[in-house]
Amino acid sequence: MKKLLRTAAVAAAVTLALAACGSGGGNPAANVSPTGEIKPRQISWLLSRPADGAVINIMKKIADEYARTHPGFSLNLITTPDRPSYIQKYETLAAANKLPELFDTDATPFAQQLAKKGTMVDGEKLLKDLGVYDSYRTNALNYQRFDDGSLYMIPFQFELEYFWYNKALFQQAGISVPKSLDDIPAMCTALRKAGITPLALDGQDQWPLERYVSYQPFRDAGPDYVQKLKKGDAKFSDATGQKTVNWISQLGGAGCFQDGFSSQGYSDAQNLFTSGKAAMYNIGTWELPSLATDKLNPAVRNDVDYFTLPATPSSATATNEYVATSGIGMAVNSKTFDPLVSDFLKFALAKYPSEYAATGALSPTTNVQTTIPANATPLYKKAIDQAKDLGSKLAMPWDTQLDPTTNSRLQQELVLLAQGNIKPAEFTSTMDSTIAQNAPKFFK
Amino acid sequence: MLPNRSRLSVLVFLLPPLLLYGVAVLFPILQSLFLSFFSWNGISDMEFVGFANYVRMLTGDSVFWHSFINALGYLAICLVLQLGGALFVASLLTSLRRGAGIIKTLYLLPAVISTVAIAFLFVRIYSIDPVGLLNQVLSWIGLGGLERPWLSDVNTVLAAVSGPEGWRFTGLYMLIIYAALLAVPQELEEAARLDGANQWQMFTKIRFPYIRPVWITTTIMATTYGLRGFDIPYLMTNGGPGQSSELLTTYMYKTAFTSTDFGYASTISVFIVIECLVAVGLILLMLKRKADA
Repeated sequence: MKKLLRTAAVAAAVTLALAACGSGGGNPAANVSPTGEIKPRQISWLLSRPADGAVINIMKKIADEYARTHPGFSLNLITTPDRPSYIQKYETLAAANKLPELFDTDATPFAQQLAKKGTMVDGEKLLKDLGVYDSYRTNALNYQRFDDGSLYMIPFQFELEYFWYNKALFQQAGISVPKSLDDIPAMCTALRKAGITPLALDGQDQWPLERYVSYQPFRDAGPDYVQKLKKGDAKFSDATGQKTVNWISQLGGAGCFQDGFSSQGYSDAQNLFTSGKAAMYNIGTWELPSLATDKLNPAVRNDVDYFTLPATPSSATATNEYVATSGIGMAVNSKTFDPLVSDFLKFALAKYPSEYAATGALSPTTNVQTTIPANATPLYKKAIDQAKDLGSKLAMPWDTQLDPTTNSRLQQELVLLAQGNIKPAEFTSTMDSTIAQNAPKFFK
Repeated sequence: MLPNRSRLSVLVFLLPPLLLYGVAVLFPILQSLFLSFFSWNGISDMEFVGFANYVRMLTGDSVFWHSFINALGYLAICLVLQLGGALFVASLLTSLRRGAGIIKTLYLLPAVISTVAIAFLFVRIYSIDPVGLLNQVLSWIGLGGLERPWLSDVNTVLAAVSGPEGWRFTGLYMLIIYAALLAVPQELEEAARLDGANQWQMFTKIRFPYIRPVWITTTIMATTYGLRGFDIPYLMTNGGPGQSSELLTTYMYKTAFTSTDFGYASTISVFIVIECLVAVGLILLMLKRKADA
């Protein structure tokens, strides 16, 4: 019986995490320039970035520098690079009102609820107060904004997403760069006939396939479509929705993605492309060191190029408008915001852009030049320079826009649709009813 | 009847673990029950909704029922592999004169390997591109037609995620059953043999009835572990593709920590508690009836 009850306890484990939870809110987020003495102590940043990545390395260096003039200060970086695990950790801490001084979040509906409760410091006011607001790229800040235009997160990167392709494999299959999204299914058929995997896809992480469902609506109806869809004001059953549903079904039917893509991970997809087995790979500039330097497999190095999200003259958005993200943003906890946190942020945000650009990455600010690495191929500079010609409308990743339940269901149903396990009509009715059931809880 | 001093000693020794048990086990169950009557996302105000979560779960949530059916399928496969496999191997071991120790160790090995390592190992074994061990073997033995992405195929994924869980604990149950089989008195077996019993009769009439108490314990253990199976399916497929390998436990976890619907997740957890109680009750009832018959 004891064993049995112990089993029951595991089933009820969810409440263990909740037992300590309070429902308290933070302080009002109005005051962005706290006054008083700077008392050095340890501050923590709960983040979801690669442990040995540029952001963490630079912030460690800056924190060490700050500690030299402020003995007793240290920055405790607690990273969980796996995004779903991070989100679970962060949301549980938010529920327990135990978030640290700094924490990462996308501009999700959950984060917006936190902002409304006054848990976060107003990012726009803070950046203006620190005197760095104008140096940020408009697109980098816009990516971090909530629907109402408010800004609570600070960006630390800027990435553009392209379709990388293998010119030799395109030539072998007798195809060229697509002029519109509608050309892609036929390209896949041609590539499959030539024995080539058309698109390498990381299906395990789910967000890469979710990007595809956002493309047709972005071109057909512009960036506002997802804003309406997530609230139930637009539906998958309307003309734009059907266009994307049918397109995903066509991509699956034409064998665009590798066999068994749903259980293949990030490195599997990348290896498929860099080993010359897959013809296309949709990924952002964060992969430039792997795709446009001498680290890339010599057998494909000279064959790799990229194209941006295809658009036609009748598209609602221009060819220079596609997915451009400033990554997960950093929010500042209003409850623990004091002269020390404010002073450190002022110090860090002034130094960060030049350090970050020196690593070969695109800074979220416009006041620095990206250093092209010595081992880069010509494609590196081309991809970086593309940022200068970026339009003003952004294709927002849908996983940051939809309510979490709808988002999970969409990710699951998309796999089934792309694998041909369900028909477009079934997908449409499931998703529309899921949105109708869940959206009102988040977008009242 | 214990003298007063002894009764006090018993109380002194029993009370701390009972208190710990109450705090760590009973309190969370009651807390779950309490939360299941609320709608709460962790940061909003808690809203009392009565039995609405239960009504939604039982009548309006197709994913819940899909997960429930999957959980039963997962349990059935795990039980066949763990108990059937364990009984088979333990019976064979009793007839071995040499090498039993090595075989026991080899079978027990998966139980000490980390779950994450097992999950990654099997993701590779089931892979089609690059071709994994299973598809390679099928191709070598001329069954290339059966090659498939086992974890992406909605018809095979549930069996594919159940396999590693079954494989992992077969050795553990085999050890328990093997120890029980060794305890069967030799005189009984010799008497049966003198009466002309064959191997099958020896097993069904002598050995199995003798190990029935151990069998009941292992069945309860395997069933409760199977019903709360979580880690391997979650790590290998995250419940996908679609909901093809979603179990009640993974669904409850996602409802709580992805959808932040803590009230509804608690409702599902209450269902899991009841499901475990009912399953164990049924096992005890069935085995008791058989023993009485």
